[in-house]
Amino acid sequence: MTRKAELASIVTASALASFGVTLVNFARDAGIDVQVGVTFLVFVIAFGGLSLAAQRWAPKATPLLLPLVVAITGLGFMTVYSLSATRAGLQRWWILIGAAMAGVVLWLLAGRGTSLLRRYRNLLLLVSVGLLLLPNLPTGWGFPLRGLEQGGSRLWVTLDVGFISIGFQPAELAKLGLVIFFAGYLADHQRALREAHRRIGPFRFPEPRQLVPLLVAWGASVVILIWQRDLGASILLFAGFVLLLYAATGTSGYLATGGLLTLVAGFAAYFAFDHVQRRVIAWLSPFEHYADEGYQIAQGVFALATGSLAGSGPGLGRPDLIPNASTDFIFAAVGEELGFAGSVVVIALYALFVSVGLGIAFRSRDTFRKLLAAGLTLTFGVQVFLIVGGVLRIVPLTGITLPFMSYGGSALVGNLILAALLLRISHEEAP
Amino acid sequence: MNGPIRRLAIGLFLAFSALLLSVTWLQVIRADDLKNDTRNPRPALLARGKERGVIITADGTVVARSVQEENSRDFRREYPEGPAFAHLVGYSSFLVGESGLEAAYSPQLRTRRDVTISDIIAAFFGADLSPKNLELTVDARIQRAASDALAEFTGAVVVLDVETGAVLASYSNPSFDPEALVGDDATGNWEELGADPTRPLNDRATRELYAPGSTFKVVVAAAAMDTGVAGPATMFADPREFQLPGSSATISNFDGRVCGDGNAVQLRRAFVRSCNTIFADLAIQVGAANIGLTAEGLGWNRRIDFPWSLPEAAFRTEELANDAAALGQSGIGERDVRATPLHMAMVAAAVANDGVAVTPYLVQRVFDADGVTVEEAEPTPIGRAMASETAAQLRELMTQVVIEGTGRRAAVPGIQVAGKTGTATGARGFSNAWFIGFAPAEAPRIAFAVLVEGNELTGEDATGGTLAAPIAARIVEAWRETNN
Repeated sequence: MTRKAELASIVTASALASFGVTLVNFARDAGIDVQVGVTFLVFVIAFGGLSLAAQRWAPKATPLLLPLVVAITGLGFMTVYSLSATRAGLQRWWILIGAAMAGVVLWLLAGRGTSLLRRYRNLLLLVSVGLLLLPNLPTGWGFPLRGLEQGGSRLWVTLDVGFISIGFQPAELAKLGLVIFFAGYLADHQRALREAHRRIGPFRFPEPRQLVPLLVAWGASVVILIWQRDLGASILLFAGFVLLLYAATGTSGYLATGGLLTLVAGFAAYFAFDHVQRRVIAWLSPFEHYADEGYQIAQGVFALATGSLAGSGPGLGRPDLIPNASTDFIFAAVGEELGFAGSVVVIALYALFVSVGLGIAFRSRDTFRKLLAAGLTLTFGVQVFLIVGGVLRIVPLTGITLPFMSYGGSALVGNLILAALLLRISHEEAP
Repeated sequence: MNGPIRRLAIGLFLAFSALLLSVTWLQVIRADDLKNDTRNPRPALLARGKERGVIITADGTVVARSVQEENSRDFRREYPEGPAFAHLVGYSSFLVGESGLEAAYSPQLRTRRDVTISDIIAAFFGADLSPKNLELTVDARIQRAASDALAEFTGAVVVLDVETGAVLASYSNPSFDPEALVGDDATGNWEELGADPTRPLNDRATRELYAPGSTFKVVVAAAAMDTGVAGPATMFADPREFQLPGSSATISNFDGRVCGDGNAVQLRRAFVRSCNTIFADLAIQVGAANIGLTAEGLGWNRRIDFPWSLPEAAFRTEELANDAAALGQSGIGERDVRATPLHMAMVAAAVANDGVAVTPYLVQRVFDADGVTVEEAEPTPIGRAMASETAAQLRELMTQVVIEGTGRRAAVPGIQVAGKTGTATGARGFSNAWFIGFAPAEAPRIAFAVLVEGNELTGEDATGGTLAAPIAARIVEAWRETNN
């Protein structure tokens, strides 16, 4: 597949996104209107532009990744549009901004490549922790940048620029910075970490001092997130960290310890936090608690079941009955309107994205790039599993976004930058 | 390092496979159950405002139609005949659900123009996505006559075509206006109707079981003649009270007198005068097994295929086999004997149809927008319930009931009606009045059952002969009108 084929795929996927918008319009007694054209233009400009940026600053990058991103974003956009035309309008701006930021990342890395990231990993760690702390800024202190509490969690900052205020979840970007730091640190200390001397039971662990900086960095991030009650992000970060440690060292003791810690932390959180208890109750018996805790999950299940094989059709379902349908429960909304067929396509697209990402990691010769590609892709994959699994009742609901599909600017920008990083790595590692 | 990454990749793909399995579980395997969960508002919400097919009667009267609202693509459901067809046609409401034929034939009546992928594919291969329409077997004129004849009485009328089992009328009183349940104020109206002590939402014609009283004597007599235990001329002892064996209880006649001269009486006279003493005796002589066999031949103790689930008419053969006292009481249609008016109309129809019981049906055909028949009803007999001679003898006895017996008030000038009255234990100490029969007696075309529930309006001395028989006469007159 060449760049030309990539561009053609992007244009086709963009056309499909605007066709989806057309179908929603027909379902609402509207015809082909300005929304259809604007959607097509925004998709072509954003992703076509990103493809051109890749051609210029990472010409040997894999052409497989962007078409997948456009397809997933397009399906998500159609569903967000079906739920709220206003939100879809904002989402279009975020697609443009996200693609532009991804282009900027490609441009920044054009000269010295990803080694720049490895070199400034400590700075990125500081920035990330700083970003994580932003929502704890006071809410009413007269400064344009303010923290915001929503639904019992403190995850948002708003920036008031004159006439508009922009809401942002800094954790979505901090996540990337932390993965880069972990990959960099592990690449630098890989040999020492792998020479495990300490034995604990059947497992071998390295000298503790090798792990201290890592544990401190990770611990600080997780503590901040727990403090902010961002359950989803802390689990995601923890999982990413443990998986990356295992990838770097091959020491399965990390996986075992990580799994054990997750269980312990899970029980602790269950008894410590009301909202964790409510989530567990909703997960185990949504129909018995239909009136309160279980309502959202039950509605999600009803939506999926009503969609059954072929779905209600775009714009013809009632995903609006599910609370937070356009963010946490976007998968149920897609499943209702596009049915089992649509759900399978969505899961398959994510599986393909993960395959491409891990393929880049496999082929990488440089340790840092290998770990970075693996870390980014694994975090991405775990995130997809946690939120889709939460909607499908495989795991408790954690309240994280479905990458590229959920409504929300920060997540879209963060994930498009993630895609740009994967593109850059694949360029650097191209034969 | 590729080793651990490969293992992680496998782990991640196993996790994704779990997602696929789970999505299959929810959207394919368990989809129908979850979709139809009463707490899922989607099916009703999605059907809101959609076009549905027309429902017409055999004589071409429109009883349900969808009318497009002005300046909108939404449709409003109308029921032009109102309460007269409320229990039969039912309603299709996005707020309170569906009932009657609207529920039973919902898949045919609903439009398929939902622009779903499966619809588009089906349309591409030439499938017709427009809603289908129903033509009923019911004649609106007889149905309206039933509604008019019951007037203020609580009760039901069922009229069948004796040869095919086609339902010509099925009306339950009091009724309700189905249009009150399809608008935005449906929930309030529905709660109000549900709280009404006269229970207007209940379909007394097909969904409520009653003790059939003396109308059940038709079944007992049929079993007696079929088994050769007794014929119309068989003589019975004629006591003032019949002593139930193994019990201190007695059974007496409605007027408390003897049936004939006090010595011996023919079965013929006992039937025509509806003597309880003789029929309690007869039932015990015939035996539970034989009566049960005849009842089951008439469709009792089993499910009958109908657009909605009918309660089973009950004659508890096994329990009665060793309980002669209870059998004696059952012989006059009391104790635990139960049937709907529809089941009792089927009893009369079998007698009229030379002993062959037929399955009742409501929908003659389903037709598409061009009028082309998609599904056509095929009359399916249940089978022979009694010998042809038995049926002929019963027709003769039932004719005498109207000529000189308890059913004289069912008589219609110019047309011979035949039937059997019944007065059964009702609620709160009142008696329910029954009349089942057929007309014309010499060559029956229609069979019917009339039930009037006893209440303050009917008073305490209501009987099948005084209350139900005149209503039957009006039904027969209405049927004659439709034939001219």
